[in-house]
Amino acid sequence: MIDFEKELEQFKPSLEVEQIEDAVMNMDLTDMTDILMKMVEESQERKE
Amino acid sequence: MDYAKRCRRISNAFYNAGLEKAQIRDLTGAAQCLKKSLHFDKYNIDARNLLGLIYYEAGETAEALVQWVVSSNLRPQDNRALDYLEEIQGKPGQLEDESVHIRKYNQAVQYAQTDNSDLAILQLRRVVEHKPNYIKAHMLLALLYIGREEYTKAGQSLYKVLQIDKNNPRASRYMSVVKRNTRQGDVERKKLLTAFSHREMQDDDVILPPTYKETTGWLTIINIAAGLLMGAAVIFFLVMPAREQQLQAEHNQELTQVLEQVNQRNIEIDGLEADAAALQEEKEAADARLQSIIDENGGMLSQYQRLIAILQAYRADDFQTAVELYSDLDASAITDEGIQTVIADIRTDMEANGYQVLAELGNRARDAGNTDQALVYYQKSLAIHPDNVQVIYDMAMVYHARGEEDQANELFGQVIVGYPDSELAALARETRGY
Repeated sequence: MIDFEKELEQFKPSLEVEQIEDAVMNMDLTDMTDILMKMVEESQERKE
Repeated sequence: MDYAKRCRRISNAFYNAGLEKAQIRDLTGAAQCLKKSLHFDKYNIDARNLLGLIYYEAGETAEALVQWVVSSNLRPQDNRALDYLEEIQGKPGQLEDESVHIRKYNQAVQYAQTDNSDLAILQLRRVVEHKPNYIKAHMLLALLYIGREEYTKAGQSLYKVLQIDKNNPRASRYMSVVKRNTRQGDVERKKLLTAFSHREMQDDDVILPPTYKETTGWLTIINIAAGLLMGAAVIFFLVMPAREQQLQAEHNQELTQVLEQVNQRNIEIDGLEADAAALQEEKEAADARLQSIIDENGGMLSQYQRLIAILQAYRADDFQTAVELYSDLDASAITDEGIQTVIADIRTDMEANGYQVLAELGNRARDAGNTDQALVYYQKSLAIHPDNVQVIYDMAMVYHARGEEDQANELFGQVIVGYPDSELAALARETRGY
């Protein structure tokens, strides 16, 4: 059975057109390659 | 193989999975795969562009634009995202419309979460009417309908969602609730059972072909004749009545139009007749006024003429003529205030002196034997000065001399009653014999 109130809470407002610029600027583009490269750099630093 | 290359491979694998899901319209599954693909390689432009497309298909235009803008920044050339952006921004007003619908949806979310489901439903219905692929709006609308136990309406919204995004998990869950409450599930189960209820064909089963009968020439002619008869019957019973009905309807319509025109004309004629009657009345009134002005004796014009003659007589020192004319003047016909002043002056003079002149003229006429004229003068004199007992008595004597005793006695009576102590009263009594 559906819990109406709970389901309703899950609906969030959509991103508005006026908010696109902020969304692009604040987007986290870090991917797995960046993370791995950073890990490699950190391990090399530790070795040194 | 270095880490970067491995990440690109994994990203590509997720992209392929996402593409497959997108091709079978599993938009939710595809979006998940594509997001994972981008987690491994943010430069996977195809994955990003496809994710944008999926957002756009689900009605999330702003999210789609974000992905395409990022994509076009990461690869400014040879990128389909540029085409998508150009297409959306190239259509005038499209972005504004999208913005309005998204804002309305957000407002509806707020309404729904603050117990204003009526307003939310109204708002959402408008949104999905203009933006039928807006999955989130359909989903919220369906949930609100479920909350009101309007399962059929909820089912319609969910059906649209599942047409766009086949495996949308939340839509599927809502749909199962809807089916439970509308017994749609039972119907589908029955269909499923009947679909596989036919017996499988065995090797020794024989398929009987449809029979073929040879027809003779006569039979052909009879068949043709029967066909012709049936055709004629169809025309007679089906086509003709319909045509007749159509003609009748057209005829009735024409008749109605003609009757309306006739009715309109009658109304116009009635109006014109009323106008004509009013104008006729005005004409008659104007004629009457004109007649009263130009009437020879009592008319306004003749009274003015008489007044002018009086004034001329005054100027010529002919007071007798002035008095005679004044006795026939109807001063009430002259309404001019300036002239009324002149008439008042004349009246004063006539009341002082004019009545005696008329009495004298009456006496002269009586002495000349013209009693009719004498009576006229006496009447005119009395009209100016009614209390002249001598004139009353003289009139009575004229009537007495003419043998008109009734009039004479009446006037004698006036003298006797009105002036009982005068000599004329004594003479009157003597003449009457008492």
